[in-house]
Amino acid sequence: MDQPLHLAVIAAAAWAAGTLAWVWLGVRGFGRRVLLAPPAGDPAAGVRYAFTAAMLPWAKESVRMHLPSYATGIVFHLGTFVAFGLLAATVAGFELPPALAPTGAIVMLAGAGAGLALLVKRIATPFLRGLSSPDDFIANLLTTSFGALAAVTLLHPQLESAWLITAVVLLVYLPVGKIRHCVVFFSSRAYMGAFFGYRGTFPSARQGR
Amino acid sequence: MASLEERIDALTEAQLRHGLEVFRSKLRAAEAAYLNACVHCGLCADSCHYYRTEPALENVPARKLDHVAAAFKRHFTTAGRLVPRLVGARPFDRAMVRAWLDSVFGRCTLCGRCSLNCTIGIGLPRVFRAARAALAAMGLVPDDLQATVDNSLVHGNNMAITKEDWVDTVQWLEEELQMETGDPGARIPLDKQGARVLFTVNPREPKFFPLSLQASAKVFWAAGEDWTLASDPGWDLTNYGLFNCNDEQAGRITQNLVDAMERLGCTTLVIGECGHGFGSARWEGPEWLQRRYPFELCSVLELMDEYLTSGRIAVDPSRNPKPVTLHDPCNLVRHGGVSEPQRRVLRRSVAHFVEMTPSREQSFCCGGGGGQLAMAAYKDRRIRAGGMKAQQIRATGAEIVVAPCHNCIDQLMELNKEYTLGIQVKTVAEMVAEALVTAGPSPSEGKTTT
Ligand code: SF4
Ligand code: SF4
Repeated sequence: MDQPLHLAVIAAAAWAAGTLAWVWLGVRGFGRRVLLAPPAGDPAAGVRYAFTAAMLPWAKESVRMHLPSYATGIVFHLGTFVAFGLLAATVAGFELPPALAPTGAIVMLAGAGAGLALLVKRIATPFLRGLSSPDDFIANLLTTSFGALAAVTLLHPQLESAWLITAVVLLVYLPVGKIRHCVVFFSSRAYMGAFFGYRGTFPSARQGR
Repeated sequence: MASLEERIDALTEAQLRHGLEVFRSKLRAAEAAYLNACVHCGLCADSCHYYRTEPALENVPARKLDHVAAAFKRHFTTAGRLVPRLVGARPFDRAMVRAWLDSVFGRCTLCGRCSLNCTIGIGLPRVFRAARAALAAMGLVPDDLQATVDNSLVHGNNMAITKEDWVDTVQWLEEELQMETGDPGARIPLDKQGARVLFTVNPREPKFFPLSLQASAKVFWAAGEDWTLASDPGWDLTNYGLFNCNDEQAGRITQNLVDAMERLGCTTLVIGECGHGFGSARWEGPEWLQRRYPFELCSVLELMDEYLTSGRIAVDPSRNPKPVTLHDPCNLVRHGGVSEPQRRVLRRSVAHFVEMTPSREQSFCCGGGGGQLAMAAYKDRRIRAGGMKAQQIRATGAEIVVAPCHNCIDQLMELNKEYTLGIQVKTVAEMVAEALVTAGPSPSEGKTTT
């Protein structure tokens, strides 16, 4: 019964990978900006800073001001990553050591809970509601369900089919909407870091320059 | 001339297509990534001084980005073409043009504070600049902002000051300088061939703040600098092409500086205290002109820092006893990378220096950037948005706010009145000139004696 679903997951993952690569190539297709003004700093140092210290609460006001949302987002992402890890292991035929199952289930359930909390926040906060398109709700619901079902499947393996079907839908949907940020997050942050690094703004002068 | 509203109503399909083409032509991979990346988390909202002072949806940076991204998705992405409603894609039509105009001209100073606070790291101002360029291509730059650019193109300076008035002002200031220093040899050189430094100023200085030009001149005099001003175009450092985002016009204005350097044979172009002037000349100019400068360029803040560090000038901080705080102009600091020279200079020149919180690259925009000071239609929003800076200033308890930017100074002076801050607003050079301990250069060696 699960074998065709495993194949469907593999096919959906291939679709997701292919279309995400397409998105990434599309972005790259816009071409690089050749800069003629001499640099004041090091773009590579700016990129390193952007991916590390610049994301921490003491460097980022938005994190300091919204620590619960920030933490919820991290838990949501962590749960989702673990669920994807479990999906890969399941399709590859690896058995999760039984001792890990409860921890994995807790992380994924927490992730799903965090996803739900973010969904409630989106609905309950007027300006977030105003910002949202259907994609924001669908992306959240799919990811949250995927994480929640992954956790439930660990405890009740007979529900695996439902989880795998959700995984297929999620993977097919992945490149369509905002979940594509799994790729463009890295390029956006790198471009931003390189920009401020080139201009000598990153790393922050507070880092002791 | 027809109003902006009338011009939008009269837009033809061909003009809309042209606007979209110009928008597309301004995008590179970075902007394309940014336009695909927003997750609508809303965490950028509080980073924007517009939202902080008026918490409305239209003031959220992501909302402003969304108007631009919606058209991008609709016209340049597969998902946006196939399932536009699902992903929030919308066509580039008159309604969209209105939304762009209101967002990128009317509610944004291009300050970039949201970029640093964005969950993803989206460089929102880069995207907004592309949108402004599209509006400029459709003739939809607010008239007063465009008039400022036109002044530079026609008169060589943004306030249409005649050469005669400029030269008269410089000569009058030279006499003042001689009186102030007691040195009849103190000069404010005009068109000195082969001078090391060509110093450029904001036209607001000769027009409204001559003492700040005199202060810079006094510092140069004390340092024994080999410097000059230009009498012909090339003396004005401003470039509102940075704000109307018409790169061709911005390039022509930058060319004035390059021409003056070549005409006078100077080796270092020194940009006076002006955030956007520095950003334009230092960072954008070579891109607009598509060539590297054949000369050095620095900010006068870096030069003053060098004078003090090397001992070329000396200062006595007790001559500036009042508590002083420093405003960080966005185009000089966050986007310009110059944050420390002015601090080192002030720490030496004033007795009591207090930082604003937040400061440096995290500083709040004063609200006057992005060309806002030139756009009367958005004045109320500008003053309200400046409320964040007013709060910051008040919290320092400072009596003097130093702003190394004449645009910021204008805005801060308005905020001073509006929010009854009871402050004085000065340039860095004014503080240094006040604190100078020097007998001026000896005629024989042209160097400072202290
Ligand atoms: S660039 Fe500045 S003014 Fe514009 S949206 Fe971002 S924070 Fe607000
Ligand atoms: S913080 Fe960044 S990703 Fe989040 S809503 Fe604002 S612009 Fe979008």
